[in-house]
This record gives sequence, structure tokens and C-alpha cells, in this order.
Amino acid sequence: MSSLFEAKGICKYFGGLKAVEQVDMTIEEGDVFGIIGPNGAGKTTFFNACSGIDKPTKGNVFLQGEDITNLTPEQVAKKGMARTFQNIKLFRYMSVLENVKIGFHNQLRTNIFDSILHTKTYREDEAYANRKGLEVIEMVGLGRFTETLAGNLPYGIQRKVEIARALALNPKILLLDEPAAGMNPSETHSLMMFIKDLNKAGYTIAVIEHDMKFVMNACNKVLVLNFGQKICQGTPDEVRCNQEVVEAYFGKGVATGGATNGHA
Amino acid sequence: MKEGSYANMWDTPPSYSLYETGEAGRMDYFLNQLINGICQGAIYALMAIGYSVVVGVVGMVTFTHGEVIMIGAFAAYYMFFLSGNQIILGLIVSFAASWVLGYFVYKVCYERFFNAPRHVSLLTTIGFSMLIKNLSQIIFGPNQKPMLDVVEANFFRIGAVQISELQIVIIITVIIMATLLSLIFNKTKFGIRLKAVSQDKTASYMVGINVKRVAMLGNCLGCGLGGIAGLLLAVYYQTIQATMGGPLGMKAFASSVLGGLTDVRFSALGGLCIGIIENLGITVTTASFRDMFAFGFLILVLIIRPQGFVSKKGAKV
Amino acid sequence: MKIDPSMLKPSAIANSNTIKSTKSFILKYQVYFLIGSLLILSILPLFTNRSYILGVFCRIFLYSILAGALNTINGYSGQFCLGIAGFFCVGAYSEAILSTAAKMNFWIILPIAGIITALVGLLVALPTLKMQGIYLAIVTLGFSEIARLLALNWTSLTGGPMGIKGIPVPEIFGFALKTSRHFYYLYLVLAVIFLFVTSRVIRSRIGRAWMSIREDQLASKSLGVFTSRYKAINFMYGAFWAGIAGAMYAPYVRFIDSTYFTLDEGWNILSMVIIGGQGTLIGPIVGSVIVNYLTELLRPIGQWRMVAYALLIIVMMWWRPQGLAGASNSIVAVKGETRMRHRKVSRKEAQA
Repeated sequence: MSSLFEAKGICKYFGGLKAVEQVDMTIEEGDVFGIIGPNGAGKTTFFNACSGIDKPTKGNVFLQGEDITNLTPEQVAKKGMARTFQNIKLFRYMSVLENVKIGFHNQLRTNIFDSILHTKTYREDEAYANRKGLEVIEMVGLGRFTETLAGNLPYGIQRKVEIARALALNPKILLLDEPAAGMNPSETHSLMMFIKDLNKAGYTIAVIEHDMKFVMNACNKVLVLNFGQKICQGTPDEVRCNQEVVEAYFGKGVATGGATNGHA
Repeated sequence: MKEGSYANMWDTPPSYSLYETGEAGRMDYFLNQLINGICQGAIYALMAIGYSVVVGVVGMVTFTHGEVIMIGAFAAYYMFFLSGNQIILGLIVSFAASWVLGYFVYKVCYERFFNAPRHVSLLTTIGFSMLIKNLSQIIFGPNQKPMLDVVEANFFRIGAVQISELQIVIIITVIIMATLLSLIFNKTKFGIRLKAVSQDKTASYMVGINVKRVAMLGNCLGCGLGGIAGLLLAVYYQTIQATMGGPLGMKAFASSVLGGLTDVRFSALGGLCIGIIENLGITVTTASFRDMFAFGFLILVLIIRPQGFVSKKGAKV
Repeated sequence: MKIDPSMLKPSAIANSNTIKSTKSFILKYQVYFLIGSLLILSILPLFTNRSYILGVFCRIFLYSILAGALNTINGYSGQFCLGIAGFFCVGAYSEAILSTAAKMNFWIILPIAGIITALVGLLVALPTLKMQGIYLAIVTLGFSEIARLLALNWTSLTGGPMGIKGIPVPEIFGFALKTSRHFYYLYLVLAVIFLFVTSRVIRSRIGRAWMSIREDQLASKSLGVFTSRYKAINFMYGAFWAGIAGAMYAPYVRFIDSTYFTLDEGWNILSMVIIGGQGTLIGPIVGSVIVNYLTELLRPIGQWRMVAYALLIIVMMWWRPQGLAGASNSIVAVKGETRMRHRKVSRKEAQA
């Protein structure tokens, strides 16, 4: 049995710039997989290459042993990979429930004639989307905001809506791109707890993050990127002690100065 | 509705004589049409240059350019009417008239819409062009007016190919205008400001450029060039009409899109291409299909290269 | 990113519920309003038989369909189509040609004309799926001009500049629809069908997919919406109804030529959509009523009519760019205005 998600030798070049160079990643079912690295390390580019938004220059991506490298984002989503974006991409002028309902798009079968004639398929589909949508919204704790326009919500809650929308796909794996960006410490903390809960509920999650504390606490495996290359992979504790990682984050001078304990 | 009649006016391109049929005749006809195409393409290029200056600097697509061109043509008409064949004076007056119209276009259609959704200013330009078109139909009358002869109709012949003095004058004028514009763009402080504004308005604002003023001047400059194109068209076709703007604005738009909308040089190339394609196209069919070749060519290019001729991604407009 | 601070307070949560109930009340009210106006409209021809008045109503219904069709493309899926006149042209000529040359029955031609136009719409949409914004706009604009020029120049099929004369009127069980009253009912029924069908499509999975494309295409893709397919469906849907409108128009005027389908006609329809309000069901109808009413009102002043109309468009854009029916809940609305209105509502609710 192959692992749930596998990226092999992913390279992404923009002209002469090697944004991502030979990165491998394996995610097993039930993981919370953290990807960290300094600014411009190629984390988001790597994610985009994995989720079909940009085709990788070289390398292959497998989901449950199936090659998804050359699929479009739509097809990748249909295969069971959901993602969120670093700069939140909500449907700002649609309500939270409508946002989530779009996540059910591929689980519904209504065609244009069903919708005109309100056939059984249509009624079942709408009932399903409404019921499941409310369930998902309840699950992420946004029950109060069901009818609010997504664009009017505060930042932290918008993140949750985006995650709820991704969960509506019923994904096998969930990619979160810097979910804690722009959040204050207490929001970050509640997000961390939320991700842990999701993981307990059975979701496999890959998360890009800057915040070391977040990653060290929430993830069971960590991959470190710097200048597009993988410099380390392992459990949070292994990564914490890795000399290269410390250098990447703090520079050499500080590392040799020995001021690394606990801060990483 | 009356645009059809202006298109009909084009059914007889002014400066080729009919040749007897047969291989050689066809070839000569073809070559002469090529010359006509280059000349017309040069005028389109000037329209497109003006258009892409406007779109680049203002950052919004406009549908008023046809009316700007028309006003330039009418200004030249009245100037020639008053002064005889003072072509330099005509150029200045049509440039100035279109400049002034450009100022109003800016005030009405752009100034308050820099942060609004794109369709708002677009529809305002459509409304404004309707306003100008109908007002000038009331003021100038709806009928075609014959233009005065300002350049003598001498023909130079190279073999069977003939080129008129008028065509040479037109091509030279366009080249001079393009050179002047590129000098303004590359050698003056104002030109550098124009380039800065067309690339990033916020950043230009940050470094202390008066964005609104520069956008206004750039817009007026583009419109002025359109006015000169209007003069050249009027002289070339010997007629003007208040409704002539519509199809011309479309041609300017199409040429500019071919060149990636904001790139001045490629827009000029786009205009040239459309002019040549049109004139070569009607060698195989009738002249009434002229506009179809222009748009067909445009659509074909966009299907193959969705960003037009430019290799880099065009500015988001 | 601006956050409305009032949303954070508990009172705002209550507000959102009250807003919801107000909304649903209006929705309920809207149904009665619709039924009421429908009743009035359906008995109106009993009181007047002046073909002039009924003719104006016919135009209003016709343009409601055309503007509504354009609205499904521009307002709901956020594409930028300027070539609606081209679809109108294709529909009208399909009807005219099939009924004069092939002598087919109007009721058979009507869906056929719609389907032909939808296929043409697909033909326009396919190469443009990758394009966005202004590139799509110029291609649709070019298509519209090409359609008109073909109609003008393809003399053997379309009669060229002479147009097509003597288009037969539709018949129902041998009863010919001749007077304006008959056409009034025909147009009313079709406009109501259009509104009904569109409102249902908009509220289904398909409509949601269209709106998600309008709001954010990449996000929509990442949620598994096959955006290209839905954009193509959207184009076909809009083109289909524009074609139907064209097919209704041809037997009404009995004679068509290419001058009916100029770019000005396209601007006319576009301005109805925008004056009424993009992205709302009622908007195009409002736009159609206003523009047609004004057209008739200003008819005595001749050429100045167009001047006044142009001024109206400019003034509308200056003061109320989201249209009269105010699509405040869509991306096409001006953002500052939307926020202001929301705050006003919440404050009023808070006081209550």
C-alpha cells in the first residue's frame, strides 16, 4: 500500500530561477504535515505544484498511488485534495453557506433541466447541500454566521470559512497555505487547536506555516525548505535540533553563538 | 445605423485605377492594394498608438476614441475651409481640438472612476461617445462632407505600382508623430512620469508624481494623436461624416488589443497589420467585407496568442 | 482588508438575523408583487387596444429577455460580453430564413433558433475560455460585427442590404397572431418563462458555480468547479435566450435587415443591464422599462433624444453605478457604497 500523498523530485523553475528544486514529500494517512521555511523558500510554489495550479517543471505527484501531476486544479480537487490560499480567496459577496455549498459542487448531480423543472435530483441535491453545509459550518463553529456575506467577516473567521469550504469537498488530504498569517497569538492558538481537532476527526492535513511554535505543536512531521531545497525532514524534535534549520532561520553567527535553545 | 453608409464610402479605395483582369493585372492590383494597405495601416497605427497611450496611462479601456478621431477630422475640415491648404496649421488645430475633447473625456469618464469596477468607466465612455456622436450630428449635420484637396494628387509610378504623393505625406506624418512620441517617452521627464504612471499608479503616487495630472495629460496626448489620425483619414478619403467615429474607434481598439493594449510599438504594428490585411483581403472578395477581415484577423490572433503580439503578459486592464 | 467592526459585536449577530428575516420578508413580498404585476399586465390589453402602447410593452418584454440574457453572462458569471447584438442577429436571421425559405412553423423554429444561437455562442466561447476581461470583450465585440457584416453581405442567404421581407406571422392552431395584442401576450408569456427559468437556474448548483467564477475563478477551480465548462454553458445559456428573443422579433417586425443589429443595439442592451443593475434578476427588467419608456418619452425631440439618453447613462454611472436595482451583494457593486449601506442598516436595527 502506497502512502496517501507522495511528491517525487518536484522542480519548479521560473525562467532561470529555481524556485523549487528536487523536493520529495510523503504524507501518510492521519498526518499533520508541516512545511516551514523562511520567506521566499518556495513553500507556496511547492504547494501550487502539488495541487495542479502550476505544473511542476520536473517531478511527479501521486495521490493514493495515482499520478496527478498533469491534472488541472479542478481534477485534482475532484480526486480528493482540497486547499486554501495564502491570501484568502473567498467568494466575498456570497453568504458563508453559499460559499460552503460550492464545495459540494462535485457531489451534486443536478443538470440544467433538473434545476428548471425542480426534479427529484434537484430537491435531493439541495437538501443534501443545505444539510451537509450546515453541518460543516457547525463543525468549524461558524453557526452564527451562516447567512452573513463572507467578505464582511473578520479575518480569522474568513480563514475558518475557507477551511470549511475546503472541508465540504470531503477531501482525502487538506492543504492549508499559511492559515495563521496575519492572526494574533490567541487566534493562532485557537486555529492550532482547531487543526488538531480536525486531525482527530480523521482528516489528513498538510500545512505551510511561518510560526515555529504553531508547527512544533500541531504537526507530527515537518519538512523544512530553504532556497527551494529540502534541508531537513523529520519529527518536530528532530527538526528543532537540526543545525541547518537553525542556520536557515537565524543565520550562522547566531547559531554558533549558541542562542538557539528553545527559541526555534 | 448610419454607420453602414460610411462603410459604403470605403467601397472605392481612392487611389488605384482599375486594371484589366489576367495574371499580371491581378498581381499589379495586389501590389497596389499592398501599398494602400500600408498607407491605411499607417493611419491605423497612429490611431492605435494614441489608443494605447490612453489605455496605458489611464488604465481603463475607452470607447470614445472614434469620436476623438472624428472631432480631429472635423477640426481639420473647418481649418482647411478657413485657411486653404495649410497642412501644418490643420495638424495643429486637429491635435488641439482632440486634446480639448480628451480633457473632457478625462473629466467625465476617468477621473472619478480610478477605484471603481472596470465596467463603470467603460459604460461612461460608451455614453460619452454617444453624446459626442449625436451632438456632432446635430451641429455638423448628418451627411457626408467632401474634404478639400490639400495635397495635390500626383502619382509616382514604379513599374505598374503607383503611389500617390498623398500616401507618402501620410506615411511620413505618421513616422514623424511616432518618432516625436518616442522622444517624449524616452527623453523627457514627462515621458518618464507617463511610463511610471502606466506601470503602477500607487507606486507613482508614492514617489511624488501627481498621478491624476499625468494621467490627464497622457490621455490628452493620446487623444491628440487620434485627432491627427482623423485629419489624415479625412484627407485620404476626401470625405468626413459625423458618424465616422464608430468603426474607426473599433479599429483603433482592435489594433491596440493586437499589440497587447498598452505597448505602444506593438500597437502600431497591430494597426499596420490590420490595414494591410483589410486591403489585401478585399482583393479576393468585395470591399464590403473589409471590416470582417479586420475583426477576423484580430480574433484569429487572439486565439493563437491570447495576449496579442507582445511576449510578456500585457498590463491588466 | 477592511473589517466592519460592528460585525464583531454580539448585537451584529442578531442584526444579521434580522437582516435575514427582512430579506425573506421582501422575498415573500416580491412574490406577491410579481403575481400582482403579472395580473395587471395580463389584463392590460383589455383596456387599451392602441397598438402604440402595446408596442411599447412588447419592446419592454423583448428587451427584458435580451438584457436578462446578457445579465446571465455579465452579471452572474462575471464574463465581459459586448456582443449580445450578434446573438440577437443570429436568432432573428435563423427565424427569418427558416420561416421564409424552409416554410417551417414558428413554434418549431423558436427552439431551433435558440439552439442555433446557443451553438454559435459555444463557438464564440470555446476559443475565448482562456481569455479574460477586455480580451474576451473585444472578441465578442468582433463577433457581433462579423455577424452583422455577414448578414449585410451574404446576399444569397440573408438578402444582403435588402433584408428579408414578408416573414410569416406565427399561428396557434390555425389562429394567426397578427395584432399587437396577440404579440403582447406572446412576448409576455415568453418573458415570464425566461424569468422563471433563469431564476431557477440561478438558484441551483449551476448558478452557484457561475457566481463562484465571478467572485474568484481560482478558488472556484480549487473547489472542483470545472470553470471552462461552466463558462461555456453560461455563454450558451445567454446566447440561447438572445436567440429566442431574435426569433420572436423577426415575425413581429415582418422585415429584418442588418441595421437592426448594429453595435448601438448592443450598447443599448448593455446599458439596460447596467442601468437596471448587474447580477440581479429584476435589474434587466427595470433597465428595459426605463430605457424603453424614456425612448418613447423623448421621441418628440428627435436627435436630442440620443443626447439625453447618453447623458442619462453618464449621470447614472456618476451617481449610481451599481444600477437602480442595486446589486449591493455582488462584486459588481461599488465596494465603498456597499459597506456604507450595510452599516446604515445595522445601526438602524441596533436602535430598534
